[in-house]
Amino acid sequence: MTMSLGIILILCLYVIIGVLDQISIQIGPYTPLFAATFTGWVMGDLQTGLMIGATLQLMTLGVATYGGATIPDFLSGAIMGTAYAIISGKGAEYGIGVAVPIGLLLTQLDILGRMCNTFFQHKADKFAEVGDYRGVERCNVLGIIPWTMSRILPVFIGLVFGEKVVSLINEMIPAWIMTGLKASGAILPAMGIAILMRYLPLKKYWPYFIIGFVLLAFGAEFFSVLGVALVGLALAAMYVMNQQHKVPVTSTNNVVDEYDDEEVEIDE
Amino acid sequence: MSKQTLTKSDIKKVYVRNLFSLQWGWNYEKMQGLGYCYVIMPALKKLYGDKPEEMKVALQTQLGFFNTTPAMSHLIIGADMALEEEFGMEDPSAITGLKTGLMGPFAGVGDTVFIAIYRAIVFSIAAYMAQGGQAIGLLIPILAGFAVMWVRYKFTFLGYNQGRRLAVEFADKMKMLTEAAAILGLTVVGGLIPSVITYKVDLTYKMGKVTLSMQEMLDKILPGLVPLAIVMLSYWLLGKKKMNSNKLIFVLILLGMLLGNMQSILGWIGQLF
Repeated sequence: MTMSLGIILILCLYVIIGVLDQISIQIGPYTPLFAATFTGWVMGDLQTGLMIGATLQLMTLGVATYGGATIPDFLSGAIMGTAYAIISGKGAEYGIGVAVPIGLLLTQLDILGRMCNTFFQHKADKFAEVGDYRGVERCNVLGIIPWTMSRILPVFIGLVFGEKVVSLINEMIPAWIMTGLKASGAILPAMGIAILMRYLPLKKYWPYFIIGFVLLAFGAEFFSVLGVALVGLALAAMYVMNQQHKVPVTSTNNVVDEYDDEEVEIDE
Repeated sequence: MSKQTLTKSDIKKVYVRNLFSLQWGWNYEKMQGLGYCYVIMPALKKLYGDKPEEMKVALQTQLGFFNTTPAMSHLIIGADMALEEEFGMEDPSAITGLKTGLMGPFAGVGDTVFIAIYRAIVFSIAAYMAQGGQAIGLLIPILAGFAVMWVRYKFTFLGYNQGRRLAVEFADKMKMLTEAAAILGLTVVGGLIPSVITYKVDLTYKMGKVTLSMQEMLDKILPGLVPLAIVMLSYWLLGKKKMNSNKLIFVLILLGMLLGNMQSILGWIGQLF
């Protein structure tokens, strides 16, 4: 399987849409799930794309740009990992194993892109001094360039040289690493879940966590995550109803709500 | 002195810019500062288009440091527009105060609701369906995304109509909804553990003709025990000072390498004796 220039360009175009989605409405294309699925679909192997995307997505569930922190570029990583997996024919585990280090490596380019934008901020400050609002507007629009370039460049270069890199890796990789990667791919979603648990008030509301776990641990055959989400919705609604019932009481008693969740900063 | 007023279409223009362009110029110095100025520009043009001196002050004020959850920024920008429509640039520090005063608390709520819980529910369901080989699940985030865009539209006008009063009243209402959303999020997260961590212990023990499967024995104690143990280990590790998510990736890959090759590792150890 070879990659035509056309497919490479389509994937570069996709990464532009992806990064713009990431910094605006976050509707989906920015996630590894969409990126890997799209790559798989374009390259004629949707199933591999779905598998890689699903695992990377679950792994990164809690990894988000809180407060503008830089996070690994799993968007570009997912595209390259999926492409490599399909070219080499080694399956989804291989793609995941490749996507993760690429994403981590590209963190640096994200930082570089954000640093470049400081230049436009300074220019805008200058325009503001003379009241040139069109100049200020232009600076914000130009900020798109560092964002997109920091994604297009690695994806384009990575895909053009992809086959050589892939065959080189193939020659070096021993069998036990592939076996290990398979297990790694299966347990990596634990990370995304654990980070989310750090952001959610687990210590305060742990019973709900147990309910969700038990429903799917014992009832996997007749239950789905969507079903658990509906149970969760019902529990949340019950909480709201109880609270609304209680409101006059708590306000007169002047009860100070003790919010003792451990805030944990996760450095991404 | 003729006072300019903002029309609905001005506010809609600001809303659209707010959706898409708040973070185009994101930088380490003022973060969303440049984007904020760009977003509110249609209002600035209307209010100060023929007053160059006020425009200068407005531009310099609006380029200042700003950072919050994008979905929550609509409330602040809405309130900002109402304030400027009323008082103009008489007192720029009031505008800066409004922006910097609200961005912190709003980010606290917004990051939890619009990022952490939103992802825990919407994207985990989509990923769960994708794991089963169904691409149709990808529609869920898209539909939810449109719902969020509608909420952000409402936020813009809520901010504009409520102005400064918004901070106090909204915080009260938000608190209960945040708690309820956290309950929903935690229930889903609990359910995710046994369903999306697909690792099975690949270890069998042969005793004469009887083969014992380790996974089957574990399932009798508690289905999903191993996934739960791995998640709790990760959760515990993340609480450590020197641990972060990037390091955790390596820990988990290493753990996978060990678990995946357990049969051969044990066999190798067995040969030593």
